[in-house]
Amino acid sequence: MSTPAIALAGVTKRFGATEAVSRLSLTVEEGQCFGLIGPNGAGKTTTFSLLCGFLHPTAGEVRVLGLTPSAPAALKRKVGVLPQDALLPPGWRVGPLLTYWARLSGLGEPEREAREALARVELPQAWDVETGALSHGMAKRVSLAQALMGEPPVVLLDEPTAGLDPKSAAHVRQLVRDMRGRQTVVVSSHNLGELEDLCDAAAILDRGRLAQAGTMGELTGQAVEFRVELARGEVPFAELAALPGVREAFVVPPGVLVVRHAPQAPPAEDVISDVVALLLQRGVRILSVTRGQRLEARVLQLL
Amino acid sequence: MNLLTEILVIWRAELGRALRSGRVVALLVLYGLFSALVLLTVGWMTRSAREQLAQQAGDAETAQRMAESARQSLLGFFVGFDPAVVEALQQVPLVVVVVFKLALFFLPLYVVLMGFDQVSGELGPRSLRYLVVRARRASVLGGKFLAQGTLLLVLVLLVDLAVIVYALATEPDLSAGVALTTLGRVWLATSIFALAYVALTTLCSTAFGTPGLSLVGNFVVLFGFWFLNLVGTASHASAQMRGEPPPLPALLRFATPSHYATDLLHPGAGAFALSVLAYAAFTAVFLVLAQLLLKARDV
Repeated sequence: MSTPAIALAGVTKRFGATEAVSRLSLTVEEGQCFGLIGPNGAGKTTTFSLLCGFLHPTAGEVRVLGLTPSAPAALKRKVGVLPQDALLPPGWRVGPLLTYWARLSGLGEPEREAREALARVELPQAWDVETGALSHGMAKRVSLAQALMGEPPVVLLDEPTAGLDPKSAAHVRQLVRDMRGRQTVVVSSHNLGELEDLCDAAAILDRGRLAQAGTMGELTGQAVEFRVELARGEVPFAELAALPGVREAFVVPPGVLVVRHAPQAPPAEDVISDVVALLLQRGVRILSVTRGQRLEARVLQLL
Repeated sequence: MNLLTEILVIWRAELGRALRSGRVVALLVLYGLFSALVLLTVGWMTRSAREQLAQQAGDAETAQRMAESARQSLLGFFVGFDPAVVEALQQVPLVVVVVFKLALFFLPLYVVLMGFDQVSGELGPRSLRYLVVRARRASVLGGKFLAQGTLLLVLVLLVDLAVIVYALATEPDLSAGVALTTLGRVWLATSIFALAYVALTTLCSTAFGTPGLSLVGNFVVLFGFWFLNLVGTASHASAQMRGEPPPLPALLRFATPSHYATDLLHPGAGAFALSVLAYAAFTAVFLVLAQLLLKARDV
């Protein structure tokens, strides 16, 4: 079994009397895009800061690529970080600042890396702009650019699309999609639709504790549940329950049939096809079929 | 990339940023104005005293003797009454000695104004996070310390150079050789002294999370050191006058950087080396403490 890219074991972080993260354990596999989900104050940013080595855990162990993040130079060239609330330092122009950071990261051609990173976030025109003169969205993209420089194996993005216009946000999402499989990416966001779209797996945090973690399929119940939006007709519940693999079927307002089934045998596509066929035979008219439930609904259920 | 290379990269970047900011220029102007004020005041006082002595003495030889005696008293007042130091400074223009001594008093304040936010200024807005993820915290500290130190050494050199040029212009007896040697000695002494205070400012800037607190905390520590030195020196002098052994509070002066300042101009190699060692030790202790603090703290 390969070593996970990121592992937290029983991690607790206290700020005075406040326990921001409490006995948190989770793992992120190499190449995975992993989401951190939770309401404000859930401990997402604290968890991020622990992963980056900005904060020292009060208890427990944090490992990133097998290394302790707060050890000297442990994450150099291995991790790219977009911190949520770190301002770009004043008194710099964007290009020279990124070049300086690339040089400090030990990248071979610092200026080229800086220019490429700025181009990736579609901001090459910002090269000569003072950091203090950047808009919030531009500063966010510059910050993202520094996280991408050198293509580090692990990229940690705290709220990467917060405050961005829809076009820029879509571009950032595409950048994250492009990294999937090649780099391990951890994304924190309040935009659950975005996380559902981007992530292979996620952890849902609530008041510093892990509420649930798993693959996106597990979290949204895609492997064990599907929903049929009904237009009209009577649902034959007894016949549905008798179909192979179906465990239970019920209707939730406003007219959505929820069918829960065995995770594997028979395959989900067979169960869905059998159910839809039966409904159509019995004169039920259907508007749509969706697998699982939306991540947002799952999170709202949990929190 | 090793520690030294990281320090050099940060040093270069921080130096460039500081030079681009207006603060360095403002402090240079302030320091220059202060030195000019001292130069003009001391120069005017020296000339007036010479004229008065010439009138009172009647003949040139007596006036010369009286002027020399007055100079010895003033030198003693400024650098202590160690005959070796007074003797060593015989050829150095009084104005240079006065500027040097006053600089030793005010330089720590300049150092604070220049560097109080070197770390704390990046802790509050968390921009330090961009650095610590790609460099050792020790490198960040080392680079910032060296950048501040470099700026200060250049600033001091510029002011000392101006003082020497002024002395050359106003003191006909001062030769170029003595002027150059004096410049070297004064700059070296001030630099050794100043670097300890740059390290102290680095420590305070690391200890406090915001620039405001760092500024206040740094001033409190400075005044604390001066107070301890005053108490220690007064206890020592008082015990000496009574012919008693120095009491325990007299030892306090040894724990303060300013106690070792005068010996930086001492002609004796032993006294000078001891003073340099003391400042090197203070610099090292402040930097090690700063590193321990930065290593342990959440950023």
